[in-house]
Amino acid sequence: MAQAAPVAQPDVELTYEVPEQVTLLTDAWRRIRRNRLALVGLVIIAVLFIVALISIFWTPYPTWLQAVGPTYQPPSAAHPLGLDQAGRDILSRIMGGALITIQVGIGSAIILSAIGIPLGLLAGFYRGKVDTVVSFFINIWYGIPDLLVALILVFVLSDALHLIPRGVFVIIVAFSLTRWMDMARLMRGQALALREREFVEAARMSGARDFALLFRHIFPNALGPIIVQATFAIPAAVLFEAFLSFLGLGLPPPTPSWGAMAADGYHGMDFAPHIVLAPTIALSITLMAFNWVGDGLRDAFDPRMRR
Amino acid sequence: MRGTLLYIGQRLVLIAVTTVLVSSIVFILLHQIPGNAFLNETRTSPEALAADLRHYGLDKPLPTQYVAWVSGVLHGNLGESLVNRGVMITPLLIRETSVSFTVGFFAILITIGVGLLLGVVAALRQNTWIDYGASSAAVVGYSIPNFVIAIFMLLIFGHYFYDWTQGTVFYNVGWGDWTQIPVPAIALGLPYASYVARLTRASMLETIRTDYVRTAWAKGLKARIVVLRHALRNALIPVVTILGPLITGIITGSVVIENIFGIPGLGKEFVQSILARDYNIVIGVFTFYAALVGLANLTVDVIYPALDPRIRY
Repeated sequence: MAQAAPVAQPDVELTYEVPEQVTLLTDAWRRIRRNRLALVGLVIIAVLFIVALISIFWTPYPTWLQAVGPTYQPPSAAHPLGLDQAGRDILSRIMGGALITIQVGIGSAIILSAIGIPLGLLAGFYRGKVDTVVSFFINIWYGIPDLLVALILVFVLSDALHLIPRGVFVIIVAFSLTRWMDMARLMRGQALALREREFVEAARMSGARDFALLFRHIFPNALGPIIVQATFAIPAAVLFEAFLSFLGLGLPPPTPSWGAMAADGYHGMDFAPHIVLAPTIALSITLMAFNWVGDGLRDAFDPRMRR
Repeated sequence: MRGTLLYIGQRLVLIAVTTVLVSSIVFILLHQIPGNAFLNETRTSPEALAADLRHYGLDKPLPTQYVAWVSGVLHGNLGESLVNRGVMITPLLIRETSVSFTVGFFAILITIGVGLLLGVVAALRQNTWIDYGASSAAVVGYSIPNFVIAIFMLLIFGHYFYDWTQGTVFYNVGWGDWTQIPVPAIALGLPYASYVARLTRASMLETIRTDYVRTAWAKGLKARIVVLRHALRNALIPVVTILGPLITGIITGSVVIENIFGIPGLGKEFVQSILARDYNIVIGVFTFYAALVGLANLTVDVIYPALDPRIRY
């Protein structure tokens, strides 16, 4: 073709394929749409949000109200999921539990990012001493069973020191304080790589301050992996809350935590398995949905998967 | 060889430092608690309380207590139980570690065994119903918490099996008989098996497409040799990297599993002593956990170059 074209021809008809300008999120959405599991996960999460919203204003019975019927009553028309060992309506408590689950999950993802992202940004951008200190803490923290530190933190902060009342917030704080390293490590790696890129160099040349470099140039370009990491923090936090409450070290009764409900039902499992089944199934489905969406997002943001 | 020993030595020092550092955090946190460990108990007289405080060294200032505790840890002495006077913590925890280790060991065997098997089979039979079955099982499995699996297994093996077999074959909660090992070990290990399966499948798929595996097939080697010696050995390398987090997960998981199945191990002790406010044991168990996780990670890092000779220290 090129050989056949005369050199001096004035108007050569050149057609470029101009790629359409799309934002990160639009692009990710287009690709996640093709991932059926992730879509199912999104639908489940949407349902969870709706149920949680409804539970703020209305549940069939108050979540704490005991003896609305005979204790251990199996599912019936009036109580679709049955009643628990104290005669509380399980459907109402599952709905209330959805709200707790969302609070714990989203809250932890936000606070953990608020700790991990600045630390990682600073370590990766300034390197040197800052990096040495941050990386030291990251490495130490990786060598310990973090959930067990979080468990002790909840206990110390709320029961022993009475700093934060035992509730959703203390669980979010304890979880975030022990799980920020994944986010920090990710952000550090991204910052280390991005700070050498031409566009950051160009911004620096044109006199951008460090703050602008960090938050206008480096951070937005790492947004994809950050969103993926934050998404996976949600099921981890939800699981942590359930784990604590199941052991009786989490949310105090009568909070309708799914973990605590599973622990309640665990003792009457022989003759009333419905009490333990409802919260454990709800919990498993929720964790699955968030994991699927996380997997979908990871594939969607992964440049290697771009086709 | 000398390099490896030096490396192991350095790591051991680092593990000791980390263990002391991390349990110091827990020590300091727990000693921030106002009042004293016996606040909720009724003592007959202030003299008795003072005698108890003196016995445990709790009447001394915190820095003195801390120094005494650190030197105790370095000498392998974790102190005495606050609730059960006279019970020394180190021998107690060593005994409990052996119980936890038994369950954890079988759990890891199950995780790796089931995970590798599912992953390899799924990769070799890619895009067949076996692959889809194994992959869907993995996709569902890694979201189900171990305590949920534990509850379901207890329901099935403890309750329904009892009914079906008229009480001849069933799982009984507790510890002491080898038949009581499999159920908790499966509950503990199974959720992580799906991680291993996903990882194995992905790395096997890459490996079986490499030239040297094709050569191995072309030479007419037996399938067993090609799969196990050529493909799997290289596919294992990424899998080994998650052994460290896996062991941490198994240790954390054992906390809830041991409480569900009534296994007298470290995890049960941990929760029970938090509930009983026996802070000395809480700190002791935590010190054990930190050391165990460090040693487990070290073991993994030492095994790693045995699988992959390209890695040297």
